[in-house]
Amino acid sequence: MDAQFAKRRRRDLVVAACLIAIAALVPLFVTDVFTQNIMVLTLMYAALSQSWNILSGYCGQISLGHALYFGLGAYTTALLFTKFGVLPWFGMLGGGVIAALIAMALGYPCFRLRGHYFVIATIVIAEIGLLLFQNWSWAGAALGIDIPVGHDSWLTFQFGRSKLPYFYFALALAAVAWFVTWWLEDSKWGFWWRAVKDNPEAAESLGVVVFDSKMGAAAVSAFLVAVGGGFYAQFVFYIDPESVMGFQFSLLMALPAVLGGIGTLWGPPLGAVILIPLTELTRAHMGGSGRGVDLIVYGSLIVLISLASPQGLVGLFARLRKALLA
Amino acid sequence: MTALLETRAVTQRFSGLVANSDVSISVGRGEIVGLIGPNGAGKSTLFNLIAGVFPPTEGAIWFDGCDVTRLPAAERCRRGVGRTFQVVKSFETMTVIDNVIVGSLVRSTQMREARRKAQEVLEFTGLAARADVLASDLVPAEKRRLEVARALATSPKLLLLDEVLTGLTPAEAQTGVELVRRVRDTGVTVLMVEHVMEIVMPLVDRAIVLDLGKVLVEGKPADIVRNPKVISAYLGDRHAVGA
Repeated sequence: MDAQFAKRRRRDLVVAACLIAIAALVPLFVTDVFTQNIMVLTLMYAALSQSWNILSGYCGQISLGHALYFGLGAYTTALLFTKFGVLPWFGMLGGGVIAALIAMALGYPCFRLRGHYFVIATIVIAEIGLLLFQNWSWAGAALGIDIPVGHDSWLTFQFGRSKLPYFYFALALAAVAWFVTWWLEDSKWGFWWRAVKDNPEAAESLGVVVFDSKMGAAAVSAFLVAVGGGFYAQFVFYIDPESVMGFQFSLLMALPAVLGGIGTLWGPPLGAVILIPLTELTRAHMGGSGRGVDLIVYGSLIVLISLASPQGLVGLFARLRKALLA
Repeated sequence: MTALLETRAVTQRFSGLVANSDVSISVGRGEIVGLIGPNGAGKSTLFNLIAGVFPPTEGAIWFDGCDVTRLPAAERCRRGVGRTFQVVKSFETMTVIDNVIVGSLVRSTQMREARRKAQEVLEFTGLAARADVLASDLVPAEKRRLEVARALATSPKLLLLDEVLTGLTPAEAQTGVELVRRVRDTGVTVLMVEHVMEIVMPLVDRAIVLDLGKVLVEGKPADIVRNPKVISAYLGDRHAVGA
């Protein structure tokens, strides 16, 4: 039994390493900038969704306000760079720390709420954050921040000519988020989180400190999402409140995990690989008409996939395999 | 030696309703004690007070030489109080062994050790063959046993069993009775709430009868079943006179 479990863990790790290696080779063959752009976004959302999944999937505290942490990462990185000349590498880490601290400060009152009330609180708090940034003149208010473009350099993490550095950074970020999840899954925290999600009262009776579990999950989740936000600021060169803290980011972090399989290791990357190209392609080919055809098609596809596999695609695969083996 | 568990004049009110009134009981080390009484006698409330779900309105609870009255449930578990729930609360999306690992992680932070301990407990409780099944796929009797297994994995000094034998078939109940005996034989003290007298009485060393939130009588099972007060509490005064 024990050996079987260890084998599964090792297999996950090997599969991930292979996928990362294959992904790293893709840009050698795909040189089209539009496609590369989609690949960068796909990897970024895989990382974000994987991070969201730690709090909402494993620990069961559904957040629809993670745009706040994404925005905090983006703003911290951009503000530290434009105002104080701090390199984005430190900005991303600083953004992560700030987001983790704020997540815990917000968790203190919010984790007493249950179910729908918690979800509503996350939405409202993220909206408040958005409003604050829209009115904070030092941080550019609604006009946002232009990040001055210098020479292409790894030091300032700016590249005007090529998408490749961004691609590899996003790949590394997705790999880190995946690995952190893989590692935590078989740790005390991973077990505590799942127990809290399934039944907090029983968890408490078994020595699980429910409140601490939620705080831990929130901190890790917010930290990783904020690093993603810092990356995004560097990627787009210009940020304003709506473009890094808008509600759509909260949704785009949740959807890949939900679609791929919430609370699973492979759900978020699988969901991102399907969902993000779909988003971008429908927008590119059907958007711009002003009639929202792209959104209708996009929405219908999500509904179809959800109907086909209510437990996410990972669950669908597991069922298929069971059926084939039986 | 002092008792392992003591409740000292514990009173619990729920906005006007007195669920427990001045309840003082004690459980010695290595005993199997039955907590019985008719519906609404306050058994579950007392049980929750001992497990630390909420603190009592008045009185104190002592466990293993310490006042634990204000300690939360998780801390009491760490100190050696394990419990099951009357309405089973399995972690439904987790496998049987993962359910039990949550319990064993209280004592061992090393995953390998926690897993080994969980495996041991599954063998002890006869669930080893179901280790990799999702908890939601277990039949009711197995879910009851999983409750016990999870609590045992926390290496408790005191195991609180909340109606684990109720609603089982006679054969299942017999397996349950044997399990409780084996648990005691490993040195764990057991306090069990039960409804069905015929099952508990042969099993326990001592029984405490609650009625209307108060301790009615306590003593050896053989004396308890003949006690007129107990008979009248369960069946009404008419039968007590007949006895």
